Amino acid sequence: MKSINKLLVVPILILSASFVTADEIHPGKDKSETCTGCHAIPGYNNVYPTYKVPKIAGQHSDYIVAALKAYQNKDRDHKTMHANAIALSDQDINDIAKYFESLK
Amino acid sequence: MKIVQSLILILSINLVFIDKSFADFEAGKSKSQVCAACHGADGNSQVAMYPKLAGQYKDYLVNSLNAYKSGSRKNAIMSGFATGLSDQDIEDLSEYFSRQDGLKILPMK
Repeated sequence: MKSINKLLVVPILILSASFVTADEIHPGKDKSETCTGCHAIPGYNNVYPTYKVPKIAGQHSDYIVAALKAYQNKDRDHKTMHANAIALSDQDINDIAKYFESLK
Repeated sequence: MKIVQSLILILSINLVFIDKSFADFEAGKSKSQVCAACHGADGNSQVAMYPKLAGQYKDYLVNSLNAYKSGSRKNAIMSGFATGLSDQDIEDLSEYFSRQDGLKILPMK
């Protein structure tokens, strides 16, 4: 019975380890919940000037990082994006960017 | 009565011309060769620091190019290219890249 237990424990440990890894790959998923309020709605419009909120799923993470930092320091002028970006740490930005890039 | 009819006719002819979408996909394709060096031929950039444009909303691309052109969006490389673009160029390029397969909206939770 003991040996059977051991036989079960090892694969269970391996399986749970792989679940943890899968979560660790995209901590940006939870952190990006706010983003879905606009960027997950088909054809959602920016108010002024009027243009559609950009599609960002599948975008390069390096570019997302650069864009969010540009919104933080107002190199890119956008009130809503500045307000959202200023609340993010560098770690948050990296996590969110990696998650968006993974959505290909 | 004939005058009213003629006026309506003239007005509707004008509306047809005004309303005509003036973006030209094929012109955009040929103009996009400059962009391809960084953004990829179909806008699916292979270089991490350059954004993918494929499938992006057309009016977002138009707005971005105009912002680079006016200087309200600052980028050394893009302001250089955008200042040389006419309204027609911006329409054509945005039409071309928006009709490629690439970017998507975020999935809902």
